[in-house]
Amino acid sequence: MLDLLAYDFMQRSLLAAAMVGGLCSIIGVFVVLRGLAFVGAGTSHAAFAGVALGYLMGWPPLLLAIVFGLATVWITGWVEERGRMKLDVSIGILYTTTMALGILFIGLMKSYNAEVYGYLFGSVLSVTPEELRIIGALSVLVLSLLLLFAKELYFIAFDQEMAEASGVPARQMFFLLLTLVALTVVVSLKTVGAILVFAMILIPASTAYQLTHSLRTLTLYSAFFGITTSVVGVSDFRHLGRSLRAGDCAVGDRHILCGGSLHLSE
Amino acid sequence: MSTGRSPIIRFDHASFGFPGLIALKDISLPIYDGEFVGVIGPNGSGKTTLCRAVLGLLPPMEGHLHIFDCACSELRCHHRAQIGYLPQKGVVDRNFPVTVLETVMMGRYGALGLLKRPGMKDRHIAMEALTQVGMESHKDTALGHLSGGQQQRVFIARALAQQPKVLILDEPTTGLDITMQHNVIELVQHLHDELKLTVLLITHDINMIRSRVDRLVLLKTRLYAAGPPAEVLKPEILHQVYGKELVITEKDLVIVEDYHHHH
Repeated sequence: MLDLLAYDFMQRSLLAAAMVGGLCSIIGVFVVLRGLAFVGAGTSHAAFAGVALGYLMGWPPLLLAIVFGLATVWITGWVEERGRMKLDVSIGILYTTTMALGILFIGLMKSYNAEVYGYLFGSVLSVTPEELRIIGALSVLVLSLLLLFAKELYFIAFDQEMAEASGVPARQMFFLLLTLVALTVVVSLKTVGAILVFAMILIPASTAYQLTHSLRTLTLYSAFFGITTSVVGVSDFRHLGRSLRAGDCAVGDRHILCGGSLHLSE
Repeated sequence: MSTGRSPIIRFDHASFGFPGLIALKDISLPIYDGEFVGVIGPNGSGKTTLCRAVLGLLPPMEGHLHIFDCACSELRCHHRAQIGYLPQKGVVDRNFPVTVLETVMMGRYGALGLLKRPGMKDRHIAMEALTQVGMESHKDTALGHLSGGQQQRVFIARALAQQPKVLILDEPTTGLDITMQHNVIELVQHLHDELKLTVLLITHDINMIRSRVDRLVLLKTRLYAAGPPAEVLKPEILHQVYGKELVITEKDLVIVEDYHHHH
């Protein structure tokens, strides 16, 4: 393991995995508590459609991923607020629509583009220094906002109406939470892909949920599981073979295996 | 009760509801500082709507509602923080991973405002609220591990931690056994007497509160009666609202056949 740390790509991968693992697992606490699990899946596929459009049009893919992700969560939140449709129904519609758009955009490309598929399945071992800087900056932004508004976000996750009745600007906080979920998904796209990010958000938090009855401990446990499983997944990739794809798979496998086994042990 | 005092909450020909559905119509009602008001009425009579209106969650479609001399539409977060609220049982996920103290601390969040973290003073206020409801020894217990009656006490403590002027309790005894019901109502009475809180208690159990409240408010989409219990609990008024669902015994006990709970 130590010999691999001498390589720049390995250092970047471990750092990216730790940041994404930590970020996803902390936002995952609020996602699990507020019952927004499906929003994570829907947003990641919407963001992937944005990436595909970016490559098709020659525009910055991450920027379009943010636009698509934010549009999806804001529309979902707005529809739920109006009481016309339950959140899981509206996200289900947007999920399939944006996924179809993503496939359409890929179909319209004149040639096969491997980089687009990198965003679908993730490519943690090929994170560039520039991508690492973007992941770092967005992670700091999301974590800072989570820290600043943690008490309000916990309260709306517990009971949004009670929070509003108690004088917390619950509506604004709900949209902030949706925005942070979208940004987290976009941050994680390149590293773990649109499919695995869903597991990265849900599994550490839901595993921690089985082990504690305190909000504070729940968040700490979730962050611990998220960071360790991601880092172990990357550093252990050579046992599964030396290909880059095996390394990417290892991150996900570790998450699912560790999370799943902890669930079973309960 | 009302002589010489200005109301803390004032409904003025106010109607509430949603497009195509009026839940409360033409309500004119003052509620005075320090009053203990019981709100009664059959299921679907608008009791919870009245509660949501006072919380500033439902502005009037017609008429006016003033809370702390502030129009409902102008109600700000700091006003809301002065109203403690115990929602109906079943609204809150009782298995949410949260300790008793963490739950009560949430009562401080609105009063603290954004970007401020709770400190020792807030923790002290939360512990005091827990002591007031007799739950201080359970501060580190998981909320989901408590009995229904204990959970109600914790939620009352959460409302008290706001240091409110008004306490609203929406059917606080629902789902509790008879001893627990009595304990919760005793606690509310004690808090009203000790802390001089204005209390709005929504309930189906008329007999449990009739001797404790200053005034009863009887609703069925509109306001049928408001006044001292003896003036409101008259057979002719009650029959108008409850119809055949109501029986008055020789000892003046009011028995309401509550279809919502029995079926």
